[in-house]
Amino acid sequence: MNIQFKKGVLELCVLALLDKQDRYGYELVQKISDRIAISEGSVYPLLRRLKKEEYFTTYLQESKEGPSRKYYRLTEKGRGYLHQLIEEWQQFSIGVTELIKEGVRDE
Amino acid sequence: MNKEQFVKKLDVALKKLPEGERLDILQDFQEHFSIGKEEGKSEEEIAESLGSPNQIAKELLATYYLEKVEDVSTTGNILRAVWAVIGLGFFNLVIVLGPFIAFVSVLLTGWVLAVAFIATPLLVVVNLAIYPDTFQYFDLFFSLALAGLGLLIAIGMVYATRFVATGFVRYLHYNAKLVKGGLQHG
Repeated sequence: MNIQFKKGVLELCVLALLDKQDRYGYELVQKISDRIAISEGSVYPLLRRLKKEEYFTTYLQESKEGPSRKYYRLTEKGRGYLHQLIEEWQQFSIGVTELIKEGVRDE
Repeated sequence: MNKEQFVKKLDVALKKLPEGERLDILQDFQEHFSIGKEEGKSEEEIAESLGSPNQIAKELLATYYLEKVEDVSTTGNILRAVWAVIGLGFFNLVIVLGPFIAFVSVLLTGWVLAVAFIATPLLVVVNLAIYPDTFQYFDLFFSLALAGLGLLIAIGMVYATRFVATGFVRYLHYNAKLVKGGLQHG
């Protein structure tokens, strides 16, 4: 898949995963890489940037199995941004789908 | 690459970041490794799927320098941010360095023109000192008019420089967003 495609949607994916519940970094990375082929490490710089832009906050929580984990929680600002991105994404994907229908020959 | 090697490479590549920030980043990756190991993966597997520590460091540094540029846009900070964004990929060499050189050349030309115009009366005086018999009022008044024009250009250039600098920082941001990732080709 084209590299530029993925870059644009990664931000949307991270924010979308945090809408219903808080998650820790490893969890976010795995959820994304299960479906999209990415260098997992590149999610962490993105997480830091989105945190600096105040789209979410972080807190530490003890875990039964091992060391405490850093959880990410969406802020109101982040939620607003997510919905804006979703809308843009939907318009974008509708546009692309229609262009494919119009331009590509059926089998 | 095992965990120790990965963390060490990342640490070295991030040495320009403030201590606290660097430790915080390393902590995130330590956590990633330990959860991965709980799930039964080997350190090598985890490092492999994380990707290159140098690429990760480049992305972190680019964000860091862009932030600094926002606080104080000094020439040094802008240059460092330009360099960091270029570091994200060769693609950027063309789309960042190209416009950067173009803008800087245009600004430089404007400033040289302004300074040259402002200096013309001085040149007339120098000329007068060397060849007193060639003096003409026309030269004097024309040079004064040029100097006036030069001052106006200089004032304009102050605004143009400020405008271009902020515009360019915004462009860098847009660009860093565009190429952020270091994602693999699928």
